Amino acid sequence: MTVTTRRTAPGGTGVAAPARTGRVLAMAALLASVAVAHLLASGQPAGAIAGLLDGTASGLHEQIVWQLGLPRLLTALLTGAALAVAGYVLQATLRNPLAAPEFSGVNPGAVLGILAGFTLGVVPADSAAGALAAALAGGAVGGGITWLFAARRDPAHLVVYGLLGSALLGGMTTMLLAYQPSRFGNALRWLIGSVEGRVWEHLAFASWWILGGIAVAWACSALLAVLAPSDDHAASLGLHPGLGRAIALTVAISLTAGAASLSGAIAFVGLVTPHAARRLGGGVMTAAVAGAVALAGADTLAQLAGHLLNGTHRLGVPTGVITALAGAAVLIRLGRSQ
Amino acid sequence: MSTALGRRPAAAGRLAAVRAAPLAVTLGLALLALAGLCLGTPFVGPQDLLAAPDSIAHVVVWELRVPRVLIGMMGGAAIGTAGLLLQESLRNPLAVPEMIGVSTGAALAVSVCVVWALPVPFAVYPLVGLLGAAFGGFVTLVVARTARTAGGVLLVGAAVSTAIQALLLAVMATADRLQYDMLFRYLVGSLSGLMWEQTGRVLPWFAAAVPLVALCVPALGLLRLGDDAAAALGSRVDRARLGVLAVSALLIGCVTGPCGPIAWVGFLAPVLARRLRPRADARVWLPWSAALGALVTLAADLAARLAFAPVETPLGAWTALAGVLAGAVLLRRQTSA
Repeated sequence: MTVTTRRTAPGGTGVAAPARTGRVLAMAALLASVAVAHLLASGQPAGAIAGLLDGTASGLHEQIVWQLGLPRLLTALLTGAALAVAGYVLQATLRNPLAAPEFSGVNPGAVLGILAGFTLGVVPADSAAGALAAALAGGAVGGGITWLFAARRDPAHLVVYGLLGSALLGGMTTMLLAYQPSRFGNALRWLIGSVEGRVWEHLAFASWWILGGIAVAWACSALLAVLAPSDDHAASLGLHPGLGRAIALTVAISLTAGAASLSGAIAFVGLVTPHAARRLGGGVMTAAVAGAVALAGADTLAQLAGHLLNGTHRLGVPTGVITALAGAAVLIRLGRSQ
Repeated sequence: MSTALGRRPAAAGRLAAVRAAPLAVTLGLALLALAGLCLGTPFVGPQDLLAAPDSIAHVVVWELRVPRVLIGMMGGAAIGTAGLLLQESLRNPLAVPEMIGVSTGAALAVSVCVVWALPVPFAVYPLVGLLGAAFGGFVTLVVARTARTAGGVLLVGAAVSTAIQALLLAVMATADRLQYDMLFRYLVGSLSGLMWEQTGRVLPWFAAAVPLVALCVPALGLLRLGDDAAAALGSRVDRARLGVLAVSALLIGCVTGPCGPIAWVGFLAPVLARRLRPRADARVWLPWSAALGALVTLAADLAARLAFAPVETPLGAWTALAGVLAGAVLLRRQTSA
């Protein structure tokens, strides 16, 4: 289970200014085209999307795009960006290419927190802030369990314990569901991960949370660069390794919880996109854009697949299914090349 | 001198423990089986197990509890054996049966039948599960053929398993509220509602698997040496590994068809067997993991039936809990030692 593609430190890659401008432009163009494709894939007429540009939503189709299409797009973009940045921070801090929100107990913990909050009635079922709080608590507990298992050991070992901790949290989620099987249908959305059915009220708080988290992670780029090579390297540059890691992990947990409170357990975006970003030679921001593009693209595919199945699906095709299939393909390629 | 004297009682104690272990496991299995037959509603005293054929106690014990205990014991043994085969052939303690796409394949096949209301009679579901398990295992084998190392096979297995799990959840997302109970079993595993009919259908497969497992033993000894050493000794490593994988897929499929995936027993049983007999090899561990797998499954099923009575919790949740906790303890001890 070793991956040999360990890239250099994040952050300062020393790209010349024109190249950087070109990359920013390319990223913006990519983001815009994915956004347009996502809106077009929803099946609403293109005129309704163009009609929104005048600032008011008039007519049924424009209302649908404004009330459902745009929030769904934003949810996909924000979730993807948050997961990618969280994965990027985790991989740099734990110095392990397989570190990811879903492999470190944080994401399963957040999902367990949300489901426990709903089932036990601690948070109301339709409250965005309540879901975020439950996800934060669960994510912190999940990350904490992993941390306890692996305390005072090589950070590289954290992934094995993370897998175990994730399995433990998965077992607890199962127990919770077994306690009230009739709620299984409501829980399914969080277990697979889906960006459907989010409206502006859900986004109001979570979007600020995620954008703030990404900004903090971006501000910490230098810290990540110092921490990535080794603890000794960080200490010799005057950074307390434990403190730096604590800050970075807090950022990663908050971002993962924010993403989970919007869309549940979306797998593989946090594992794969940071690698893509590092291969492109970028830092936190590249990872964010790569994640946003990846998840919005996956959701575009999910919408198209939903149209093919002609709406027989109660939930549509959940986005998490597309990302899991894509991630499986990546894993198979990895296994074959070994 | 004093240290030698001090060491002797400890060594003698360990020897006694080693000698007593087979007796203890057999006794534990017998006790758990007896408890499985007697406890529950209605409670049937051990002296009433052979009551008159027309009494309620007789029907409950012989029509409901005996098949359940029987299938729990055999299923646990099969999963424990399969876990040992996988761990030894892939040389990785995390190579659990859930990781090669077999249990998820069975779950997918059954849930497709349930959700899309295919005209399949209820009694044939275990057979459908078996077919799905064969399909999942087949896909893994075909894709894994191209992976050259044990780690690569493990990654490919995990990938296939994840993909099938995603499809399973996608199918479940379309299900009705009323179908969840049925589907839930195939997500987590349970022994509830098993009778002689299902038991009879699975028994021949178990019987067929036993000689195949015996055939795997020599291959395990070679694979354990590592790819290079095994190849140098003239073994065709890829083919041997695929053969072992196929036998474990058969074992897991036999269990998943009627009961759903019994999670983590395939991890727990071999690990416990290794701790009981640290210096032995696969030939010794094989019967031990079978016995311990049966022990763990029976105990977990008892907990599933009785812990929150009258509500029955799924067996898989209990085995997962036990497996993960034990795994964490063992790993911790290993790294600190």
